[in-house]
Amino acid sequence: MTTTATSTDNGAAAPTRPGRRRAARRALPLLVPAALFLAAALAGPWLAPHTIDAPVTATYAAAGDGALLGGDQLGRDVWSRLLHGGGELIGCAFLIGAAVTATAALLGCLAVLRPRAGRILERAADVAILLPSVLGIMLVALAWPDGGRWAVITAAVVLGTPFAVRVVAAAAAPLAAAGYVEAALMRGESSLSITVRELLPNLRGTVTALFGLRFVEAVYIISTAAFLQIGPQPPEADWALMIRENAPGILLNPWAVLAPSAAVALLAITVNLATSALAPRTQAVTSA
Amino acid sequence: MAALTPGAAAAGSTDPATASPPGPARAHSAHRAGRAALRAGAVLLRRTLVLAALLAVVFTAVEILPGDAATATADRGDSAAAIAARREHLGLDRPLWERFTDWMTALPTGDLGTSARGEKVADLLRDPFPNTLALAGAAFVLTVAASLALGCLAAARPGRRTDRVIGHTATTAFAIPDFVLATGLVLVLSLWTGWLPAVTVADASGKPAEWTMMIMPVLALAIPQTGWNTRIVRAALTDQADAPHVEAARLDGLSTTRVLLRHALPGALPVIATGIATSTGMLLGGAVVVETLFNHPGMGTVLAGAVAGRDTTLIAGSVALAGAAITLVLLAADLVRAKTAGAGR
Repeated sequence: MTTTATSTDNGAAAPTRPGRRRAARRALPLLVPAALFLAAALAGPWLAPHTIDAPVTATYAAAGDGALLGGDQLGRDVWSRLLHGGGELIGCAFLIGAAVTATAALLGCLAVLRPRAGRILERAADVAILLPSVLGIMLVALAWPDGGRWAVITAAVVLGTPFAVRVVAAAAAPLAAAGYVEAALMRGESSLSITVRELLPNLRGTVTALFGLRFVEAVYIISTAAFLQIGPQPPEADWALMIRENAPGILLNPWAVLAPSAAVALLAITVNLATSALAPRTQAVTSA
Repeated sequence: MAALTPGAAAAGSTDPATASPPGPARAHSAHRAGRAALRAGAVLLRRTLVLAALLAVVFTAVEILPGDAATATADRGDSAAAIAARREHLGLDRPLWERFTDWMTALPTGDLGTSARGEKVADLLRDPFPNTLALAGAAFVLTVAASLALGCLAAARPGRRTDRVIGHTATTAFAIPDFVLATGLVLVLSLWTGWLPAVTVADASGKPAEWTMMIMPVLALAIPQTGWNTRIVRAALTDQADAPHVEAARLDGLSTTRVLLRHALPGALPVIATGIATSTGMLLGGAVVVETLFNHPGMGTVLAGAVAGRDTTLIAGSVALAGAAITLVLLAADLVRAKTAGAGR
């Protein structure tokens, strides 16, 4: 769905301390919801009153009577399943976001330092853009029928990295011409050393924003895959799977569908808003 | 929300050849036309090669998988000999390279190969693909219109309340997965209010029976993409606002609307075109998902069956069609970029 590219500082002087503090104050209201939501979703399993597979109500029982959000298609407690259903999604999205960001940070800097490698990576992004992520996931699910979560994670990392590389490369390009990078090149330092010691410390803002966006993108991919029944399998409690399983009973107990829908949406929205707050002020967002 | 400056990625995503100034200004006009044609040809060739590369990757990936169409469609208890015969019947015993060239050379003629069940993939996709394309296309048009309107509206009032509200709403909108949005829409617009049909019913020709059945799927696809592209439009216009000619127009006392639409927007178009073109993949992929929710007679149903039946040719054929559709939109974006670059210098 999304990728960012960051352009260079627009020549403004480095932010002063009070300026920085003001920026932090402005960012805080956008960071707190994400932190609270993540904490709640991760602590959920300990707060759940029932197990995820014990039938406690009638099929699609309405809310109330011991079940806060009613029952699902097998009479299991929707509230308990909701509390259990986020941890794995968040964990996987975190893993994908971290893997894509780390790979992209290294390859993006390499693309800038070695123009030939840069051209190859650029072409890879051109190819990847032609493959809708949903079709990509289906292909990987075919290739690796027993892969489950790992198949989806692999697909998301492979499909997401080319764009992310482009974002880092766009942000790193102006830095590569900086005097201290040229000096390091002249000293004969390796590309890896220049990347880690000279380039990446100056790309903190870009990399942080990139991680946030890749996390949101990963939530989209994992939940879409789960909705298409690729990844988590039925007895599991998973928000996207709950939406699909309980859709037939949406009129009997709307909460069985509404609650997991809201959970997925809130997860993506809070993290996305937090990301936009953390992004550097001279952030450039474009698609890739 | 952070100020957005999209110049960098646009530069990253275009071939330098297409973005560079079109030669010396003194060049003869016929000479220039020839060059333009040459450049257009080069872009076309490059996009086609990229599409071919994608298909090669997909085909190889599919081949590396354990199991093939013959074992996937075999009945339980089929003997090894029967499976081998089936493999020969489907032509799977020939070398990979030979099958790939056959498949690729047949593609331009509209032959997408044979599915695991022995049917022509082109026949299987003939009815559903236009339905998916119509869904994604309608969402595309809506996305372009809405994001241009909202982006311009925000840029006309920089830093004001309208700008902030549009900015945060856009950020919120593009985070919501389309199937989640679709579920919410069904609940509100159909089940609670009864305004729209919740399920798409196909008529005799295999198209949705009523146009109202398209509203919710199109909205579910267009809203997140509009959120994303509104930010791109807003950012591109912000970039242009600092350009000397826009500054001059503003100092001449022209109205904000006129400065925005006649002076800033043309320069921002290349970036906007690139951004919106890359939404095509999201719209097509999203359409496949949203279709399964509404029972829309499109590729979603076919692909779900293909995944369950391990029908790789069918999926490869769908990838080829989707890739071709995306390539066309990217070519259109190339055209917008080349035209703006040519006119601007």
